[in-house]
Amino acid sequence: MKLKTSKKIRRGAGHVCLHVFFTGLCFLTLIPVLYAVSVSLNAENSLLGSNFRFIPESFTIKNYLAVFTDYPVMLWFKNSMILAAATLALSLTVGVPAAYVFSRRRFAGRNAILKALILLYSFPSVLSMFAIYKLLGPMGLVDNRLGLILIYAGTMAVFALLNMKGYFDSIPQEIEEAASIDGAGSLQLVSRVVMPLARPSILVTAVMILIYVWNEYLFATTFMTGAENYTLAAGLYSLQATEISGSWPVFAAASLVISFPILLVFFAIQRYMTSGLTAGGVKG
Amino acid sequence: MKKKSKNTLWAYLCSSPSLILILLIIIFPILYTAYISFTNMNVYHWFDFEFVGLKNYRDALFVFDSGFLSALLRTVLWTVVSMILQLVIAFVLASLLNIQNFRGRRIYKTLLMIPWAMPGYVSILLWKTGMFNSQFGLLNQWLEKLGMNPIRFLAGDVSAFICCSVVNLWLALPFMIMIMDGALQAVDRSCYESAVLDGAGWFQRAVYITIPAIRQIIAPSVLITVFTTFKQFDVVYLLTCQSGARTGANIHTILTYAYENAFITNNYGYSSAISILIFVILIGFSLLTGRRKKER
Repeated sequence: MKLKTSKKIRRGAGHVCLHVFFTGLCFLTLIPVLYAVSVSLNAENSLLGSNFRFIPESFTIKNYLAVFTDYPVMLWFKNSMILAAATLALSLTVGVPAAYVFSRRRFAGRNAILKALILLYSFPSVLSMFAIYKLLGPMGLVDNRLGLILIYAGTMAVFALLNMKGYFDSIPQEIEEAASIDGAGSLQLVSRVVMPLARPSILVTAVMILIYVWNEYLFATTFMTGAENYTLAAGLYSLQATEISGSWPVFAAASLVISFPILLVFFAIQRYMTSGLTAGGVKG
Repeated sequence: MKKKSKNTLWAYLCSSPSLILILLIIIFPILYTAYISFTNMNVYHWFDFEFVGLKNYRDALFVFDSGFLSALLRTVLWTVVSMILQLVIAFVLASLLNIQNFRGRRIYKTLLMIPWAMPGYVSILLWKTGMFNSQFGLLNQWLEKLGMNPIRFLAGDVSAFICCSVVNLWLALPFMIMIMDGALQAVDRSCYESAVLDGAGWFQRAVYITIPAIRQIIAPSVLITVFTTFKQFDVVYLLTCQSGARTGANIHTILTYAYENAFITNNYGYSSAISILIFVILIGFSLLTGRRKKER
């Protein structure tokens, strides 16, 4: 009896230590974010003073207002959304049938193409950026939204195909066979059986494409000049405070405003994230 | 026989939009990059470039101070350091999170996922200004409080490398913790019980039970992370060599090196040769790991 209680106490003490450790660790991890939150809400601009504290003495939302009034954030948002929607529509329209066919049918060249796709998946698009630039230039697709959409959709096409193919592979073919024995035509088979089953994978792929477009800054800043074409990423990139210029509190506010939707989406689909990221990359 | 060819035709018909898009946007530019790599295309020879054979490849591989070889070495070092730190730290943290009857692990897990959930470039820029900047940076404010002079963290090679590693660790750890956490939950608890009875300590249990048990499960994710670390561009680029805002440190990885030669110094032929070399390295690495996996 006595032994049991002492063991309990020891375990309790251990858990207290664990809680202290993880609370400290979480705080340490989140310092950059917390600092940005605190700076963006701080009413006194006592940044250069050394008496910084994480909880400001008085709060203000003027930095957030500045983000929306001094900079065309809504325009950036619109640009990002147009790009994201078009990229999404294009890459899913071409990706879903291709993924389905590669999962279900066996045909000449299938294995070779799949192997090639996996190799291509490891190719970072930064490396062919100049070639893309030089190829799209004469076609008038540089400094053109369509050009960027094509680049994004093409870059994500490999991921979309491999990822959704991996998911289709995990759906047993017997379900479809049963449906076709029951007299379902090919069109019915696709619309009534395959699509509903594939919905989670299409959703995850769509969200990953959305996040990619939302976060892409390099092509967006290189291929689109002119402030009226800025996406959120390019806009934020132009806003950043350097050693000498720029407003750090406004930048912090803008960063948080831009991150917030992505955080929401991320935690909404978090449980699918690991499989969504790993299934496509290595499964052959 | 006829049915088979019809099947093939149908399959290509369905997948052709996707394959054509990939051909145009991915494969064709790669081939064009290979083509450029044999020319002397640069800002002065935009249209009237000529073929120079393997000169660009020779310059990259055999000219001692070309910068490519040192960038390659640095990238390998960067990958090794990042991977070791990630694996060790993630393993320890995931093990702690999986201690039995530990309540509240879900809250900690969610909080620790935030660096992963944040858009990457936003986090990197926040680190750059919020932590490392010599005026607004928190690190320098703390140094000032201790009565020390501010340090320009991103100016020196060694300190910039450490800063980049820290930021990369910050960005990459959540994924690794999650993978390890998932793998640890799949380990059979009863193994531990008998090991405890046999008097095995935490370290022995980790080495003899946990690590062999989770190795297979985490292998694919670790492999992917090795690739992404090797190909890391954003951290180094945004922290030290944004165009027009270089911090003075020269810690190019191979990707930022290729980018700089294409878009800053405009040496397109040379940069394309570097790109092709990197691609060859990546293909070699994929084939190697692919074969290893099959043999097992």
